[in-house]
Amino acid sequence: MKKLLSILLLLFTSLTLFAQNNDIEMADQLRNNGKIYIVVICIVIILAGLLFYLFSLDKRLKLLEKKSDRKN
Amino acid sequence: MQLAQQVKHLIKKEVVLEWRSKYALNGVLLYVVSTVFVCYMSFLSIEKLTWNALFWIIMLFASINAIAKSFLQESKGRQLYIYTLVSPTALILAKTIYNSLLMIILTVIALLFYTLVFDFPKDTDILMYFVAAILGSLSFSTIFTMVSAIASKTGNGGMLMAILSFPIIIPVLIVLIKFAKNAVDGLDRAVSLDEIGLLGVINVLVMTVALLLFPYLWRD
Amino acid sequence: MYKTWWKILAAALVVYTAIAGLLLEVPRLAILNETIRNLYFHVPMWFAMVVLFTISVWYSVKSLGTQKEEYDIKAVESANAGIIFGVLGIVTGAVWAKFTWGQFWSFDPKQNFAAISLLLYFAYFILRNAIDEEQKRAKIAAIYNIFAFPMMVVLLFVLPRLQDSLHPGNGGNPGFNSYDLDSRMRMVFYPACLGWIIIGYWIYTLRLRIKTIENSQL
Repeated sequence: MKKLLSILLLLFTSLTLFAQNNDIEMADQLRNNGKIYIVVICIVIILAGLLFYLFSLDKRLKLLEKKSDRKN
Repeated sequence: MQLAQQVKHLIKKEVVLEWRSKYALNGVLLYVVSTVFVCYMSFLSIEKLTWNALFWIIMLFASINAIAKSFLQESKGRQLYIYTLVSPTALILAKTIYNSLLMIILTVIALLFYTLVFDFPKDTDILMYFVAAILGSLSFSTIFTMVSAIASKTGNGGMLMAILSFPIIIPVLIVLIKFAKNAVDGLDRAVSLDEIGLLGVINVLVMTVALLLFPYLWRD
Repeated sequence: MYKTWWKILAAALVVYTAIAGLLLEVPRLAILNETIRNLYFHVPMWFAMVVLFTISVWYSVKSLGTQKEEYDIKAVESANAGIIFGVLGIVTGAVWAKFTWGQFWSFDPKQNFAAISLLLYFAYFILRNAIDEEQKRAKIAAIYNIFAFPMMVVLLFVLPRLQDSLHPGNGGNPGFNSYDLDSRMRMVFYPACLGWIIIGYWIYTLRLRIKTIENSQL
């Protein structure tokens, strides 16, 4: 069992070494699957920006509502 | 024609004022000379690209300094006096023409001094470089005159002048540096026709917009 | 401004682009790979920005002509909304550039010019803050806005065509039109632009409404 594990480990490390030698490109995670995750990141950025913006607008509105409450 | 008459008188006034104090001319010349000298002490010899970029950077700051005062220096009382006498169109025209003349003289002197210290790089098309320098000083003066008019209305003009003018001048500067680089590389003159045309269009555009807008700015 | 149908239309368009943009087939290109789908999300930001800035200039002209405060507020708020889209466009562009061109900021002419045109509008807001008197502020800011706009047009639409750029359609790079913006992509791209432009307009109206209430309460 131990032997098998060590062999597997060796194999695995050699495989990763092999992969490292072949692949020069870095940040491989984001380049998988035809870089589709870049698109995801961009969509998330746009959504986050707009949502953040909505929250700031909301805050302004809240202030306004408070003010108008005080007046009434 | 009345407008031409007014413009002529205003330019004359500016020239006389300038001649009496020689403030802009001497100040800016001193600025250019000392900058070039400092650059010479630190660089000793420079390559083509730096040579070109350095010249335009020096000219950019020199022209901001020279033109910023065209509206900023005028006192409230004198502005009011001018306002009652001439039309705003004549005023902006006169200021722009005067600034262009001043800048052309300054640029030529600066370029001569600059080449005295740092020689022209090899195979420079010297005539084209002069054309570039003169076109550049024209564009600087049309744009900066209007921006300084805007900045002078805000109260704290000096700081704002830089903030307001840099985003506007950068496109012009990019075209200019490209044009000048063509000249430094000694490329065929036909190559630079695009840039000359674009600079001309930008100048005409800026002048028309300035002429249209200045009357609104002037009227308080 | 207060009707609902166009807001629903914008929402539908954007949802459609999110679904179709991720699922429909796109041309297979090296380097770009799937990121070509970013075309549906990154480019419409610029369209929205330019439209909002154009609205801003339009109201600046009107405010200069009539001296009405209403138009001045409209000009400011649309410039404000435009800046958000500009920033989003720059950030998404930077991320996209990192994984296709190698760096977040590759000093590509279009990137630089987009940054400069944002600077222009930041300068516009600094100018506004520098003046206290309202009438004067409206007038001078409007003048600067109109004066700067032709420069922005030159910056965004003329200069990139003269320089080498990594963006498609400039300096030797074939444009999207020539080979890869085929009819399938158009089906998503145009609705995306329209949708985001309308959303930008929506944000502008929201800001405008809040601002008018704020002003009326002062």
